[in-house]
Amino acid sequence: MAGRVGNRHGALIVPTAPVWLRWTWLLPAAFLGVFLVYPVIVLAVTVADSGAEGMLGRLTEPAIWQVTGLAVVQALASTAVALVVGLPLANVASRYRFRGRALTQAMVTVPFVLPTVVVALAIRSLFGSGAPQGFWIVVLAHAYVNLAVVARIVGAQWAQHSGDYESVARTLGATRWRAFVDVTLPSLRSAIATSAAVVFVFSFTSLGIVLLLGDPMTRTLESQILRQTSVLLDFPGAAVTAVIQLVIVTLVLLLGAMAARRAPTRRGKPVALRPLPAAFIGRFAVIATAVAGLAIVLAPVVALVVASLRGSRGWTVGWWSSLGSIDAGTTRLGSPGAAIGISLTYAVVTAIIAAIIGTLAAMAVLTTGRSRILVILAIVPLGVSAATLGLGTLLAFGRPPVDLRATGLLIPLAHSLVAIPLVVAVVAPGLRSTDARLAAVAATLGARPSRAFWTAYGPVLRIVVVASAALAGAVSLGEFGAAAFLGRATSPTVPVQIVRLLSRPGEQSLGVAAVLAVVLVVITLVVVLLVDRWGAPARRTTRQEAIA
Amino acid sequence: MNLIWVMPAEGRNPMRARPLFLMAGSAAAALLLVACGGSTPPEASAPDGPSTVRLLAHDSFVISEDLIAALKEETGISLEIVSGSDAGTMVAGAVLAAGNPTADVMFGIDNTLLSRALDADVFEPYSSPELSSLVPALQEDTGDGRVTPIDYGDVCVNIHDPALADAGVPRPATLDDLIDPTYRDMLVVQDPATSSPGLAFLLATIARYGDGWPEYWAALRENGVTVSGSWTDAYYGEFSGGGEGTRPLVVSYATSPPAEIVYAEDPKPDAPSTSVMTDGCYRQVEYAGVLAGAANPEGARIVVDWLLSEPVQADVPLSMFVFPARSGVELPPVFTDFAATVDEPLALPAEEVAANLSTWLAEWGTVMGR
Repeated sequence: MAGRVGNRHGALIVPTAPVWLRWTWLLPAAFLGVFLVYPVIVLAVTVADSGAEGMLGRLTEPAIWQVTGLAVVQALASTAVALVVGLPLANVASRYRFRGRALTQAMVTVPFVLPTVVVALAIRSLFGSGAPQGFWIVVLAHAYVNLAVVARIVGAQWAQHSGDYESVARTLGATRWRAFVDVTLPSLRSAIATSAAVVFVFSFTSLGIVLLLGDPMTRTLESQILRQTSVLLDFPGAAVTAVIQLVIVTLVLLLGAMAARRAPTRRGKPVALRPLPAAFIGRFAVIATAVAGLAIVLAPVVALVVASLRGSRGWTVGWWSSLGSIDAGTTRLGSPGAAIGISLTYAVVTAIIAAIIGTLAAMAVLTTGRSRILVILAIVPLGVSAATLGLGTLLAFGRPPVDLRATGLLIPLAHSLVAIPLVVAVVAPGLRSTDARLAAVAATLGARPSRAFWTAYGPVLRIVVVASAALAGAVSLGEFGAAAFLGRATSPTVPVQIVRLLSRPGEQSLGVAAVLAVVLVVITLVVVLLVDRWGAPARRTTRQEAIA
Repeated sequence: MNLIWVMPAEGRNPMRARPLFLMAGSAAAALLLVACGGSTPPEASAPDGPSTVRLLAHDSFVISEDLIAALKEETGISLEIVSGSDAGTMVAGAVLAAGNPTADVMFGIDNTLLSRALDADVFEPYSSPELSSLVPALQEDTGDGRVTPIDYGDVCVNIHDPALADAGVPRPATLDDLIDPTYRDMLVVQDPATSSPGLAFLLATIARYGDGWPEYWAALRENGVTVSGSWTDAYYGEFSGGGEGTRPLVVSYATSPPAEIVYAEDPKPDAPSTSVMTDGCYRQVEYAGVLAGAANPEGARIVVDWLLSEPVQADVPLSMFVFPARSGVELPPVFTDFAATVDEPLALPAEEVAANLSTWLAEWGTVMGR
């Protein structure tokens, strides 16, 4: 993410840059200014008005630092577990050719977009009474959700490894382990640093999972902010906590960026998928890793499917048949089917907004000078507390004179803010690793600057824009916080509907909530598989295959 | 997170590159579509004629569509319900927006949060003419004429009877029983810092034991109580009567057993498998109030009256599983049969809660910290 903010190719990246490229930063800068910076300022001013005396004194209270310490330990543990599970998965799913590889890769993405309340309950019901408590179940849940971050980011880099260097090392007498530690790991360092920073940030700022599964000792600053705002109404205290969180998140992202920058990278296209190893042990190891990874991802999902098909009297399709219209109980919450429509609409709008804004922001990596700051600004939403952003947006745009709530735009706008950092993370490296000489060649051959730009960057833009739009849409589908905060009660999204169902007793509530969660999984899978197919057609067949 | 699509060399065919402005165009069109499709006439605050009233409610607020339609028919008011997330977050937003609110009327602020909202002058005084029809205990409970009680409910320990029977253990009757070794490892409660029923249960113990409450909680902890982050996780995750859990005792509501019946699969069971321990219950009252600085205060007052009207009050039990504040409203049979009536609910004065809450929560954390 922040990983590649810098550029080391010197001043001018696109030799014949079209003039408009210098101005692409305007729209994202305006967007972030209006929808990110302005609400935060409005909130800050309001809090200051309501009495901000002694805010500095808060910093000396031991309680806040105790929570901070616990949250850091938790996030480090979550990151470690996600890396340990995610790295083998990244290796297998991005390098070997086997039946079900695409599905494995798509499935890994699912936990990332499931509403946290669903993940929490699925994991809880999976373990049953043997569920680990507090700290460890939170760590497990975070690792589960963020598996996709590691598997995808590291996998993308690992896919470029032919294994030649490792072979050389082995020929020179290195053991397999030695070759891995001395050759493979260093060349993956940039991807590992980037993904570790992102997983850390997501785990450190996590709210839903901590609220649902945490015990009093397992808190994040985010849950502390929520507690300070909504239980204690201690706004100055919440403001201090929010600032601490923002500072730590920014530091971690910068650290990740620095580690990634210093790391050697092999740039290039992904090498062909390799066939499974001939030796039984190797073949077994690959298949076993894929199966284990799939099992880890699937187990909670299977628990959901089972829950959606079971009542107290055994198997039933009753919950599924109540998707359209339901008996007395659920009609009053609005039909689940309608919620799916609303969620899809928001997802499409979010995908469009976030892809455009994020891509334009990412284009700043192709320019020089101050506009590149935008790439950093665009990832700030990762660190801004959701409660802060929600309250700020409400105060800035939820009442006269500027009332956007009735337009239905507030939720997609908030979702876009969440998704833009991810869009930038996808688009920027793609642009940066494109060979700028293509544009120069095109220009030499007589293409005008714009034409030359599209010749060089058009192909990669097509892929990354579609990919990041899908990602943004997926984020929107699973988002709960902003939707609960800024929505209209009569048109809830699917995650909001799930949470409402789960906030009342009765097996129908649990059953229909499970149905909605399964629908969400299916939609996500379809989107990811479609984009996988459309975005990356080149790797399917390999020359080795033809020769063999 | 599909960064694999990013690989630059993969898009081989420049002819298929799609100019960005096309996408920008469709985005603008989509924005326009959403903007037009979803919009309602802004602030039609003409005193006569149809007007819109915005009702800010927490996300558990539910009411039948027919009633909203009837309100429109009778008064010309179209009610727009805006969601304020959970009750605490909604009140936080209202306090910050005091004087220039995001809605006209608020519903769902309860007695633990009320005094903070009153201190921040969130509400404009209004005494509904319907007040005299309320149950006597609630008629004076109006925050000096600034809010109106709409419904009430009790937070109580719920019991999964079959599980207790299997264990050969009698039902617990009082808060004191819960620290008896008979009920070791059986109770699940919610973190009062993050959960509304969790907070209510803590307040119940404070109301009952006074300064001795930390000792009670230490004893609960000794006896193997488990703390969940939320009601959902406690009820569906840990409670044996709600789903996959193993613990037969949970902090929930006095109306949870009838909800078990209403939200059961057809054909509904004759009786719920859960019941209520009626000692040690904390009473929660939910209020509505006209927000100070409302764009449509006239309409807001009509909506407050409407919330207390007979049809809405009769709808409240089955849509939100609480008791109507209005006296003499006929309760649905499932309520009269299975909802527990709590004769002596516990409660603390709102001012006392406001003054001590953060100290209590910190002390609770110390007692329960492991």
